[in-house]
Amino acid sequence: MTESGLPTSEHLEHLDTDTIADLIENLLPAPEAHRAREHVKACPECQQTYDALVKLSEDLAEEGRADIPMPTDVAEHLDAVIVSESVLRASTVGVHSLAQIREEPRRHLPKLLGAAAGVVLIAAIGVGVVFATKDNANEGAASTDQNSPPADAVTITTNDLGPQIQQWLEHNPGAIMHGSAAEQACARTFASGRPNPNVRLVQPAKIDGKRATIIGLQGGSPRDIQVFAVTGCSEPGGVASPFYDTTVTLRNR
Amino acid sequence: MTAHLDSGDQPPRPDVPRIDAGEPVTQAAHTGAPTSYDQLDDHELLRMHVAGNPDSFGFLVKRHRDRMWAVAIRTLGEPEEAADALQEAFISAFRRADSFRGDAKVTTWLHRIVVNACLDRIRRRQVRAADPLPEDEDRAAELAGPSEEDPAEVRERRLDVLNALKQINEDQRAALVLVDMEGYSIEEAAAILDCAPGTVKSRCARGRAKLLPLLRHWQTTRASDVPEESAAEAVGTE
Repeated sequence: MTESGLPTSEHLEHLDTDTIADLIENLLPAPEAHRAREHVKACPECQQTYDALVKLSEDLAEEGRADIPMPTDVAEHLDAVIVSESVLRASTVGVHSLAQIREEPRRHLPKLLGAAAGVVLIAAIGVGVVFATKDNANEGAASTDQNSPPADAVTITTNDLGPQIQQWLEHNPGAIMHGSAAEQACARTFASGRPNPNVRLVQPAKIDGKRATIIGLQGGSPRDIQVFAVTGCSEPGGVASPFYDTTVTLRNR
Repeated sequence: MTAHLDSGDQPPRPDVPRIDAGEPVTQAAHTGAPTSYDQLDDHELLRMHVAGNPDSFGFLVKRHRDRMWAVAIRTLGEPEEAADALQEAFISAFRRADSFRGDAKVTTWLHRIVVNACLDRIRRRQVRAADPLPEDEDRAAELAGPSEEDPAEVRERRLDVLNALKQINEDQRAALVLVDMEGYSIEEAAAILDCAPGTVKSRCARGRAKLLPLLRHWQTTRASDVPEESAAEAVGTE
């Protein structure tokens, strides 16, 4: 790069930094790009700028990989915001949609105490509690074959699991507990290790040809059901081993 | 492309009820003890959040807030703005978590939400016309992070870049942060910024040209730290 003896460089003005930066990004029209490239080759000063711009990109990339510690006050405030958002969510049992929570956050705050008491009650009573909010008290009266699961094993594929469970639970506001006592106990043991141990559904099933148990757990809102397909619960003293899970969101809850 | 980004990111679909694609359930989740949050991966924390766990999202925030703070402060250049944008972004992520598609990385998804929150603020600011940001020298030291965490030269370099970025225009800064610092491709940045790829290239080029004199001393300093290689590169001699 020390070909300073080339005749052209002496007669050309230096390129400005914008032009060199454009050259690097291939933004110049072909003839201009050609001239600029030839000049940079011949002119040590412009070559230096060219190299410095390339290096700048590399240095920015390196700097970009580094995190920047969030200032303590910002972090504390953010934590508090997330906690209050979490409390707000927990307090809105019975609210129809997240959109509604977004629109009317203040209105739901007074529910907080009642909802918290409800959570404690549910935890104390444990499994099988029916969420009898005013929203769903009148639902589920008309059960047809499609809308309720059979008492014995249902044959189903994992692909159909989500939609089918959604249909069952939308038509059955209470808990659906099928299968033997041992199978239900196995499901409850599995549920007790989950963050939300409230069982909404235990259903013996044949899934993709194998004997399995479908377990539905209440999510954070009444609309969300975490569904697990497990093996092991159909045998006496068996332990649930999940092989599929999905989350279904119920409508009109 | 930096390691923490997926190139195949797509906007989440808020209207589609989320159904997991049958990912394996991790063993740690079954024990579910709060002390084990540390061992849970991002996907599992987010899934627990969607299922109603009150703490797992906060844990996710703690895990990634320094990364997201870096993105916000570089893009917006001003701590108050960055803090507000991050708050908006994390609340949005909290509420939209059920729209997260399980096949993407959680950090990519979060990153995108943060970037969009920052760009929204820039656009709003531009609509309000040019009210120049106040110089906030007092926070400069704080921006560089707690002194006990990083060596002095790291903090100094960080501050140099932040101060230099503040001095170029917002469009160029956003493009440069996305492409050069965060490792998005030109096409991805164009999609995020809602402009043509050529515009992104041009903003990057002009942004670099403006940054160069502001960071020249930084390059020189760094070059003199490692004379054998970098110095030769920086001055372009062979």
